[in-house]
Order: sequence, then C-alpha cells, then structure tokens
Amino acid sequence: MAADFKRLVEDSREMTRRSFLAIAGWVGFSVASAIALFQSVKFIQPNATYEDPPAFKPVGALGFPSNYAVGSTTVLIDKRVVINRDQDGFYAISLICTHLGCTPRYFPDVTSDLVLAGTQISKDPDTGQQATKANPALPGFKCPCHGSRYFRDADNFFGPAPRPMDRVHVELAKDGRLFVDRSVVVDHKFRLKV
Amino acid sequence: MKVIRAAVDEMWSVLGQMTSAVFRHGLPLTDKIAARTALTNFVLHIHPVRVRRSWIRMSYTLCLGGLSFFLFIVLTVTGLYLMFYYVPSTQHAYQDMRDLQFVVTFGGLIRNMHRWAAHAMVITVWLHMARVFLTGAYKKPREFNWGIGTLLLLITLLLSFTGYLLPWDQLSIWAVTVGTNMAKYAPIAGPYTRYLMLGGRAVGDATLLRFYVMHVVGLPLVGFLLMVVHFWRVRKDGFSGGL
Repeated sequence: MAADFKRLVEDSREMTRRSFLAIAGWVGFSVASAIALFQSVKFIQPNATYEDPPAFKPVGALGFPSNYAVGSTTVLIDKRVVINRDQDGFYAISLICTHLGCTPRYFPDVTSDLVLAGTQISKDPDTGQQATKANPALPGFKCPCHGSRYFRDADNFFGPAPRPMDRVHVELAKDGRLFVDRSVVVDHKFRLKV
Repeated sequence: MKVIRAAVDEMWSVLGQMTSAVFRHGLPLTDKIAARTALTNFVLHIHPVRVRRSWIRMSYTLCLGGLSFFLFIVLTVTGLYLMFYYVPSTQHAYQDMRDLQFVVTFGGLIRNMHRWAAHAMVITVWLHMARVFLTGAYKKPREFNWGIGTLLLLITLLLSFTGYLLPWDQLSIWAVTVGTNMAKYAPIAGPYTRYLMLGGRAVGDATLLRFYVMHVVGLPLVGFLLMVVHFWRVRKDGFSGGL
C-alpha cells in the first residue's frame, strides 16, 4: 500500500491498474466507515428529549411570593430547586450536588455534629455566618451520596463538593407568580426583589 | 409374525444408526479413541487433544477463567428468564422487579442467581487477571490475549454498571447519576458522552432503555465474540503453566 501511494505521488503513469483499484477501494472503505461512525453517533444523540422543561412556575400556593416568609427555605423536590427568601429578596438554588449530581437534603442543623467533633468549619462566604461552640447549629443541606454539606445559601463547607450549588434565575411573571428558569445560572449576589 | 419381526429388526437398526450418529466413537477406552473423539467433537475441541497433567494443575490456574465463563453462562440463562417478566420502562421496571421477587414462582431464585453470579463474575475476572499477572502469563507470546482480556474485564464491568440501573430503585438511579457524572469529568468529550449515555440531561426513561439494550444485547454480544477470540488464543499460544 505505502509503495502504491509513493508511486501515485511520484509518477502516476507508473501505477498499475491493480494498485489504483486497491487504493480506490481502501479510500472508499475508509470514507464509508467514517460516515457510518458519524451517523451512528448522531443517531444515538436525541434531538428531542421529553424531559421536564427547565423553566417552570411553582404550582399552587407556592406560586405566589407572599406565601414565602422572610428567612424561609422551601424545597421543591420534584423540580430539584430550593427557593430562599431573605431580607433583600428571593433567590433560587439548583438542588444538584456539585460533586457528582445527587440531590442534597435540607436539615435545620448541618453543623453541630462537626462542631462537637472539633472539625474546623469555614465561614459562609456570602453571609459571614459561622458555626461556633456557643451557637453550633446552622441550617443547610447534606448530600446522601458522599456526605457533602452546604449552608442554607448553597455555599459548600464540608465533604467532596468542589464549589457551591448553582443559583438559578427566578423572576416575577406577569400573572404575579414566581417563574424559575433552571437553565440560567446566576451570580451569588442575584436577588429578586418583590 | 414374520412381518412384526421384520419391523422390530428395522426399528433396531434405525435406532442403532441414530445412536452411532450421535455417539460416533464409542467409549474412550483407549488413548487413540479418546484422541479421535476430542478431535472431532465440537464441544470437546475447545480442549487440546493431549494435555499434560502439569498444564492443568488446579493450584496454577485456580480455574478462574473457567469459573468466569461458567458464570457468564449462568448470567445469560438467568438473564433470559428475567426478560420474560421485565419491561424496561420507568412505569414498570421497579414493579416488575418486585413481582419477580414476590409473585413469580422461583422468580426470587432466578433474580438472586443473576445478581450473585454478577457479583461473583466481577470477582473471578479480577482474580483471573491477578493470577495471569502474578504468574507472568501475559508475557510474550501472550500479549495479544492479555489485551483481549483487558477488554473482557471492561465488558464485565460495563455489564455490571448497566445492569445496576435496571431494578430502577433509588440506589440504581443515584448510582448511575454518580457514574455518568464521573464520565462528564473527562476532558472535552465528557459532557457530550454523558448526554449520549443518558439520552437526556438526567437519568430517565431514555436512560433506562439505553442501559437495558446495552445490557441484554450490545455488551453480551461483544463480550461473546471477544471470548471466542480469547479461548482460541489460549489454545494457539499454549498453556503457560509448568512443563
């Protein structure tokens, strides 16, 4: 084969019919294989998925901002979203662990066992809160898969999670209901003022 | 009377012909007959006609390759049984698994055989690989078969991974969530690979069907073809055990 190609490049008149056909055959086979590989990959890649759309409005009473108390944490487990309301407004957290994608669970106290065990817990970079011996219990999330822990505002402080959980876009729709878009990741300073 | 006698004789001769067609060599009473049987029998041809006692010392191979293959057969048969009741959709999968455990006669036995044989096969394949490594049996001229063996290990692990999703309980779903997220960490092609594996953005209907198809057809088929080559090479390269 290599010799055939060399001949083809140097002087095509020297090439025999047999080696020309051999080269044509191999080129055809390679091209057909490449196309088959390409189409196989594209075939198993779904163009439409029938999954839950990323944007949604919470149903029922949870659709309306007035039903959220200031300082509250609301877990919409079917949507894997958390809606927090603070003094300065609303923000939504995508409840997907940043380690390997499980769903962390809300607990009113995720720190006191660590404080008791003498584990150093870092300060929450967003709120500046810190669990101390005097005040050991802080609310937050624990991941059931590998034990990552997050403060209530999604900042990670323990376990293998490499970064805070994503905050996602939340706005007020024209009908006065909350509208969450899980496909839009927003900054930690984002707040929806109502 | 004569007619009946003729008919009985005819029957005997047909029966004799049938018997000699199936048992072509008679009992292997001499080495010559035994050799000829092994040479012309499809099932026995996997074994060499002549084997030295030292080649098949139990303490050398520990039967680990054979055990792995035996477990593969157990898994194929029990898996076939399970397919009669199991529907790979998120609506049915978990309930079907429960039915197999508690409703179907011997369903629990078949499912547990499948599960334990799967665990055991991962263990025996690993141990087989460790044995080949520790005895240096991967060295020339067996490098090619060592390569086939690593692919078979990969197939075994992928079969375990795909089978893990099928009961569709919490353990399955989150294990596959974790596993596919690991794939996502691969450079460049990671997120796309995960999308192809899941058939979407999260573990769902599409994922269950994909994993099922790979588990019951795709991977066993590739595994079987690789096994054929693997055994062929064992015969051609010769046993690595003592002389």
